[in-house]
Amino acid sequence: MLTRNRFCLLLALLTVLCFADPVPALDIEKKVIKARLNNGLTVLMLERKFSPTVSLYIRHRTGAVDEIKGQSGAAHFLEHMMFKGTTTLGTKNYEAEKKLMMQIEKIGQALDNERMKQNKADQKLIEQLAARLKQLQNEHRRYYIPNEIDRLYTENGGLDMNASTGQDVTTYFVSLPANKIELWARIEADRLLNPVFREFYTERDVILEERRQSVETKPDGKLYESFMRKAYAVHPYGVPIIGEPRDLTYMSPAAIRHIHHQYLSPENMVIAAVGDIDVQNTLKLIDHYFGRIPKRHYLSPDIPAEPPQTEERKVEIWFDANPSMIIGYHKPTAPAPEDYTFDVLETILSKGRTSRLYSRLVLQMQIADSISVHNGIPAARYPNLFVITAHPRYPHTHHELQTAILRELENIKQHPVSDLELNKAKKQLKMDYIRSLDSNSELASTLSYYELLLGDYRYFSNYILRIDKVTAVDIQKAASKYLGADNRTIAVLNKKITANTNSGTNEK
Amino acid sequence: MKNKIYSCILSGLLISLLHGLMTSGVFAAETFIPPGKIKYPRLDFKLPRAERILLKNGMVLFYLQDRELPVVSISALVRTGSMYDPPGKEGLAELTAYVMRTGGTAKLDSGEIDERFDLLAASPSISMSLDSAFVNFSFFKSDLDPCLDLLSQILREPAFEETKLQLALSLKKEELRRITDNPQKLAFREFNRLLYPDDPRGRYFTTASLQNIQRKDLMAFHREYFYPANMMIAISGDISKKEAVNKIRQYFGHWNDSRHALDVPSPPKQTRHGIFFLRKELPQSTVVSGEFTVSKVHPDYYAFSILDFIIGSGGFPSRIFTAVRNNEGLAYSAGSFYRARTHYGVFGTYAFTKTSSTFQSLHLINDILHDVTTGSITEKELDWAKKSMLNSFIFSFEQPGQIAVQQMTLTYDRLPDDYLMTYRKKIDAVTRNDLKRVAAKYLNEKKRLTLIVGDTDQFGKLPENWEQPVLISPQQ
Repeated sequence: MLTRNRFCLLLALLTVLCFADPVPALDIEKKVIKARLNNGLTVLMLERKFSPTVSLYIRHRTGAVDEIKGQSGAAHFLEHMMFKGTTTLGTKNYEAEKKLMMQIEKIGQALDNERMKQNKADQKLIEQLAARLKQLQNEHRRYYIPNEIDRLYTENGGLDMNASTGQDVTTYFVSLPANKIELWARIEADRLLNPVFREFYTERDVILEERRQSVETKPDGKLYESFMRKAYAVHPYGVPIIGEPRDLTYMSPAAIRHIHHQYLSPENMVIAAVGDIDVQNTLKLIDHYFGRIPKRHYLSPDIPAEPPQTEERKVEIWFDANPSMIIGYHKPTAPAPEDYTFDVLETILSKGRTSRLYSRLVLQMQIADSISVHNGIPAARYPNLFVITAHPRYPHTHHELQTAILRELENIKQHPVSDLELNKAKKQLKMDYIRSLDSNSELASTLSYYELLLGDYRYFSNYILRIDKVTAVDIQKAASKYLGADNRTIAVLNKKITANTNSGTNEK
Repeated sequence: MKNKIYSCILSGLLISLLHGLMTSGVFAAETFIPPGKIKYPRLDFKLPRAERILLKNGMVLFYLQDRELPVVSISALVRTGSMYDPPGKEGLAELTAYVMRTGGTAKLDSGEIDERFDLLAASPSISMSLDSAFVNFSFFKSDLDPCLDLLSQILREPAFEETKLQLALSLKKEELRRITDNPQKLAFREFNRLLYPDDPRGRYFTTASLQNIQRKDLMAFHREYFYPANMMIAISGDISKKEAVNKIRQYFGHWNDSRHALDVPSPPKQTRHGIFFLRKELPQSTVVSGEFTVSKVHPDYYAFSILDFIIGSGGFPSRIFTAVRNNEGLAYSAGSFYRARTHYGVFGTYAFTKTSSTFQSLHLINDILHDVTTGSITEKELDWAKKSMLNSFIFSFEQPGQIAVQQMTLTYDRLPDDYLMTYRKKIDAVTRNDLKRVAAKYLNEKKRLTLIVGDTDQFGKLPENWEQPVLISPQQ
């Protein structure tokens, strides 16, 4: 009864908000409906009627930064495990499964403990335990149906079902035919409350393959990892999201459960539903399923602040690939005014063929193959970086490229950008912003992101107004304050020459 | 151990009881309704269509209105492609597209063009693929005239400035130099090269072929393929039909050329088969296989699409994913792809796996491909695939711009006018027998091409029934 009463009130309030004003086409703020469930969970809804589809986003204010030291990769690992079903989805006999899974974990842990001894490990014991683990896994397979969550979504027309783990935030998303919202609520609430972490040890191998695919075999991935490690001496932004190889290799189910525990905190969650929805019914469904999550005050772990950088940092790696480099500077994060300024500077430096760095390095000097600039790496809950990446064009060197880039940054500090250039950048940012309003999934993604991160999605709806206020003086000031040598990290990748004999030695 | 596993759920339960928000019964699993019992509201929808308008000069226009944002989007498809590169001048098609955008026009030099586009916060992309060129451009509605003016200059009278061609050539050479840096890109490029032996589709640019390309070649290539009847335009956004047609007429209507549209190129004759190795010392192998299969206009297209979905493109529950990833933990990415064109199709599989499980992954995949030819696909799998494809069909109609481009693409592929209208019926009519038949007809290990990029020396003992793989080097 309590639930129902509260609901009527909420809906009445919404109705007022909803119809008080005629809605201009671009005024996102007036179209978005924001509600908070009793347990503290925030819901954002936006009606778009062109197609009978809906995009649904769930975001948790939990990411890689929230991991315990030595368990790097746990947040991303959990995200994988959330697709393994629940006590009622994907099981043929949950009681039988439960017993087997406890045995699997026991043997898996024993196997890890032995393997951790490395040279001193008892190889025979390892073989025995591995065989026993395989046997239990095969037995377990009789009692569950793999990939049931995915099957339910695809069979019901779901599109782009996936999840992502960042340093700050973990996100679960899907687009569905608009009449299938209840299926989503049913699955998502269930997997939040009653997940079953099946196939743990095979999934660990999968994630090790993911690491090979995105880092160990990729020059960009390798360089980025080294760069981040160097740029952050203390703060966990320097630790790779996918995890350090050693942590990942011996990840335990307990570490995964620890992160999952942090998910069950409605105040740290935001849901966004954008598309052909009926606002009242959608909210009712969301409350029916997600309202079951108990209210809980979760305190984030203490995360050490990154101390101010006092001297330039450099790192050099060798890899079988052509040279590339990353230059980064520490800076404040959103919603600090400087963050808007750096968005404008990013555009001035790198957006379009007439941008400063592209026109200078690629078109005029012809010493770079490509150049890009990103404000806000790697995430935004904590102070982040302004980052420039570039590939020198053969036979030019890192040194030439670096000198030219730094000269352009110096230029920004010395001379105010012209009105023409500033307005060009602002128009480009406005265009990007407007383009992002054209898709249900992008809107759901953006709205939920800022609501979760800054406690207010209106960061997004006010974005262009704030960008409009950025002046040439702001840019000069921010550049002078943050783009100095002492605040800089430079990472370069050099080509390692490997013997490519191309002679096969495979014998049958 | 037991307590540990469920500790998070137990504490959640305790808290909910303490707060008195709900009864503990809520946490009993049975309160979550079985998904099969959820009653869904009816979904009513129409399939919006773009209007088709034929201009006097032979250009075909597709139009659909979209008033949501103050933006207009224009896309174009041109019957050309890198397969039309003259022998010895591989790379010409891509260079032509790139320098059309970057090399100035008869009226404006390249610097002026760049400046104007950036001031308009809009820039058209012209991308050259194997058998088409695709132009994509969107801008503020208020900039309609200057944007269309620039677009028409670029498409109709590009200047191909020599300095910009030289820069483009240098950047292409750098691209070649970097081609081996990314193993997956490298693998798919070399795979395509092997897939089409003695066919224009299998040729890629090299340092030598770039050396042969001059400004006059770009001008000739542009003249040969960029003319009104050989292209189609899709326009959508905040613009009325009348204005859209008038403006396209104003900027492209006087472009007169008596040539008719080129025909769809004939299909490649044969594919190479066998096993090829490309050595790159990395901890993970890229395993790609493929063979030619049914075209998009063939009646078997629908059955083969479902077959591909079940084998490896239908996500987690598909067979390759379940076998290679779920059961064995051998790869993060593994699956299949089916690219159907007007006169032929390519079906393929892939897995990225650690060096020591290279052959094991390939075996698992080949076993699946063999298994489906024996009629092993169950009614349940077929049902899942059909429901998935039918229920997600509405996502092909999510945005007006997407609908207009889709209709243009279908016309480009010479598909019948009722293709979209009959698609669901034809998918629904596919039977298990059809799947068995098309699998047996089109999947054949003896005709299959396999390329593995990786640390070839460490793959281990070659399987008994293999011929000695051929070692190739990347073509640069």
